[in-house]
Amino acid sequence: MAAPSQGCRVTRVVVIPAYQEAERVGAVVQRARAALPDYQIVVVDDGSRDATSSVARQAGAAVLRHPFNLGYGAALQTGYKYALRTDASLLVQLDADGQHDPADAIALAEPVEAGELDVVIGSRFLGAGDYRMGPLRAAGRRFFQGLLAALGPRITDPTSGFQALSPRAIEFYTGDHFPSDYPDVDVLLGAHRHGLRIGERAVVMGESPRASSLHAGLAPLFYVYKMLLSLWAVSARPRKS
Amino acid sequence: MENDPRLEELRNIFLSAPESTTTRVMAAVLSLALFAVVLGLVRRRVLREEYTPIWLLVAFGIALMSLVNPLLSWLTRSLGAWTPSSTIFFLGQIFLVAICLNYAVRLSGLVLQVKNLGQEVAMLRAQLDARDQREDAAPGPPD
Repeated sequence: MAAPSQGCRVTRVVVIPAYQEAERVGAVVQRARAALPDYQIVVVDDGSRDATSSVARQAGAAVLRHPFNLGYGAALQTGYKYALRTDASLLVQLDADGQHDPADAIALAEPVEAGELDVVIGSRFLGAGDYRMGPLRAAGRRFFQGLLAALGPRITDPTSGFQALSPRAIEFYTGDHFPSDYPDVDVLLGAHRHGLRIGERAVVMGESPRASSLHAGLAPLFYVYKMLLSLWAVSARPRKS
Repeated sequence: MENDPRLEELRNIFLSAPESTTTRVMAAVLSLALFAVVLGLVRRRVLREEYTPIWLLVAFGIALMSLVNPLLSWLTRSLGAWTPSSTIFFLGQIFLVAICLNYAVRLSGLVLQVKNLGQEVAMLRAQLDARDQREDAAPGPPD
């Protein structure tokens, strides 16, 4: 079982935020270990009440366990903070539900390791695979994609959680501005305005096997409201000189 | 409408109506009770000292208006209201909105602190687990 190696240098880290994923996280960790043998696999258990932590540990991951549920963004950020403390030179984040193929991480990591980009997003919409969204989600994605393009970077898949980050990006994302719930276009706009270089690579992504709470009830409306407000706040702040 | 002399006359009637002694006594009692409750909460360490000024100021304001007769009438005229009670409701609503906003700001700060603490706990716990594992794996002292 891999233990977190605080204090010693871990060069490359895979961060997998997980909440109530005992059924799937083990397979995801094993696939990540097989595809990325030079990476330390870190699962951030966001206060799950099931066996997520122990399953991830048995599969060979280091586990950081929140004492209570803090949100997807906070779980990611715990991984960033861990990577920052261990001086990681590269961080790849992927979801615990098996939606992302860890083998694609190699293509995401290349531009970061070459020093060309700070944030590389795995995009479902660059020709690889045929990922389909419902009409409402697709409309929302196009709307925010257009808004982001008007304010800053042109990104085809701004809500993708499959990303590779450079140390500069990791450090920026450990700030208090990083949202605890869903870090999406607002975070990308903030990163762009901070001077981070953002790019995309095509990846194949499956459907998430579980329904996201983000798409139920009034949550989508609140998401749109919150994201618009957050985009405005980010663009109203002074740019990094 | 605003310049209608009949309405102006009606408003003056409202404003010149003598305040009921009962109302003033009740307000004075209320302000004293608020003082007592706030101080009692501080004494029992339920309310922290830094949160008391706003409530003591409210109690002081109520006491002042109940004791200084023309103050509420003057405020009512200045605000363009018709009756002292509507002035009190208006000021009360402003106060409630301001205090809710203040608490929302404090709550946002606390949520951030709780998140940071939770993350710190996760990392420290992982460090402790790793240390325990190393100690378990290390060979014990010879018998």
